[in-house]
Amino acid sequence: MRADPRVPSLRTRLLVAMVGPLLLAAVVIGLAGATLIADVVRRASDRVLGGALGAIAETVQVERGEVTLDLPAAAFGMLENGERDNVYYRIAVGDALLTGYADLPAPNPAALAVDVPRYRFARYRGQDIRIAEVRRSLPRIDAPVVVQIAETLDNRGALNRRLMLALLVGECVLVGAAALLLRPALGWSLRPLARLRDAVETRDERARPDFSPLDAGPLPAELRPLASAFDRLLAQLDTMTGGVRRFTADASHQMRTPLSVLKVQVALARRGSHAERGDALAEIAEAVTRLERLVTQLLALARAEEAGMSAPLEAVDLREVAAAVITRQVHQAVDAGVDLTLDCDAASGMVVSGHRTLIFEILSNLIDNGIRYNHRGGTVAVAIRATPVETTVSVADDGRGIAPEHRETVFDRFARLDPAATPNGSGLGLAIVRSAAARLNATVTFGDSAVGTTIILRFPRADDGDVASGNA
Amino acid sequence: MRILMIEDDAALARSIAALLRAGGNAVDHVATGAEALAVVAGEPYALVILDVGLPDIDGFTVLERLRRRGDKVPVLMLTARDALDDRVRGLDLGADDYLRKPFEPEELEARVRALGRRRGGDPLPTLSVGALTINRSSGGADVAGRRLDLRRRERAVLEALATRAGRVVPRELLIGEVFGFDEPVGDNAIEVHVTRLRGKLAPDGPMIRTVRGVGYMLDAG
Repeated sequence: MRADPRVPSLRTRLLVAMVGPLLLAAVVIGLAGATLIADVVRRASDRVLGGALGAIAETVQVERGEVTLDLPAAAFGMLENGERDNVYYRIAVGDALLTGYADLPAPNPAALAVDVPRYRFARYRGQDIRIAEVRRSLPRIDAPVVVQIAETLDNRGALNRRLMLALLVGECVLVGAAALLLRPALGWSLRPLARLRDAVETRDERARPDFSPLDAGPLPAELRPLASAFDRLLAQLDTMTGGVRRFTADASHQMRTPLSVLKVQVALARRGSHAERGDALAEIAEAVTRLERLVTQLLALARAEEAGMSAPLEAVDLREVAAAVITRQVHQAVDAGVDLTLDCDAASGMVVSGHRTLIFEILSNLIDNGIRYNHRGGTVAVAIRATPVETTVSVADDGRGIAPEHRETVFDRFARLDPAATPNGSGLGLAIVRSAAARLNATVTFGDSAVGTTIILRFPRADDGDVASGNA
Repeated sequence: MRILMIEDDAALARSIAALLRAGGNAVDHVATGAEALAVVAGEPYALVILDVGLPDIDGFTVLERLRRRGDKVPVLMLTARDALDDRVRGLDLGADDYLRKPFEPEELEARVRALGRRRGGDPLPTLSVGALTINRSSGGADVAGRRLDLRRRERAVLEALATRAGRVVPRELLIGEVFGFDEPVGDNAIEVHVTRLRGKLAPDGPMIRTVRGVGYMLDAG
């Protein structure tokens, strides 16, 4: 099988199906991670900032009606970091600055709850800063006391970047590893398939086609339906080739006897006297007729088994076909001294869906049998009948009949009940009938008759629409 | 020699019989295995030609039953089947030879002759009694270089006597070997042929003596 560029390889499929979503997941995880990291960094830094705020706020006191404070060095030590962030502070009582940077953005004291620190971002001296602020309520001081401490964001940014980088590296390693592992993983997963392939390929090397089920050892669940479908296909092939093999073996077997007769009689004719030559020629003519009939019948059988495979069903007038067969075979009947009759319920309208060639072949064989296995003065009666459920054609003779125990075997190829009595029978007639009938969805049965043989061809009644569309 | 042919196909049976009769043999024909088993016991056949595909019991079974009851008559099997197994099976069951249809008539005749010779314990194709030489392949006979013009039956009688030269051959045995069972045999049928043979063998050939009430004997040497 050649590679089709429009059909991607399994590896490409898996790559697309797996690495694509994996990348998407990485982006989603990255985004969520960024938010989470930013949040964690903010909370951690705010905690430190809040700690420093608390330490300063604690030192704000009232001494003799004055607000005082003692800026603790440790509070600023807490805020020292590798990024050398700037730290600003402002303590105000009402609008009056107590100490610190006067221009640090001041809050509206009314919006601040007492002793609950609040955090916000702001812009100060061309830099982004984070401000922690708290309002204190001091005894005998009416104006709100606001303590603020702020830091620039360099350290927060650096922390954020480091964590994001770690996340990104982790994600890249994951996706890369998945893409790299795809090939060996695929190879390992497909190994049972290779075993299945080997099981098929070793068959080719054997001389005779082997259609027994594959032996690929235990297979994973996904491959079992494939293997069993393959086994079913093999079984079908086995049945078919077996049929062909039996057929050719039977056919060649059947030709050997008349060929032997021909060879011997030709030898006798070469050596013999004039009178002996005449006898030999008569025997040769008979053997040739027999071979000719055998070949014709074999071809008919091959046709019957092939026809109807593709051609759509057509409307066939049984009366017309029967009349055509009788017209062709009337000479044979006259020579054999057998009376050939046709009886039909209606003048016309005995239409079934089928193939004219096959129906012709069936009737031709049934009538031929009726004449062949009959006696001088006998009759072969063809009758066409229609009932609500089926249309039937029966061919009845008053010949020697077929014993009930032989009624199944006569349909087999080359089954001849009494070869000596009718030397020109090929043993194929009824095999052709059965095969052709099967193609037509018709059935062939034996009818009850006191003398001779009655064979009935039954067509199930088809709707007119089915005939027209060929689906019957 | 006397041959029994078991063959269900009437046309082939007629053909083989005509072929072998033209070679001076007496050929009996039956179409079924049962008939064959009944007939073969009572007649002194020199050879049985047995078709494998018979309508009642197949050729292998016929052969098996024949051998089981101790009958050593040479059997040549005819088959339309190709399979090697068949050939091996036939030979293993005690067939002496095997021929596949369609066969060359010359080959059948040669094999029949070869089997006939082997039965007499003398595989040589020529048989010499004094000045008489019989070529069993061609069927020709010479006395001191003089070609004998023999008819079919005469040749059969001469061959039957020559294979047993120096011994008395009973008249019944002679009839059994020369005539098939559906051929009319007159009271003096053998007499006529013997008389003609004596005329043709004289003066330099071996003598055929009549042993009154018993049969005939060809002088050895």
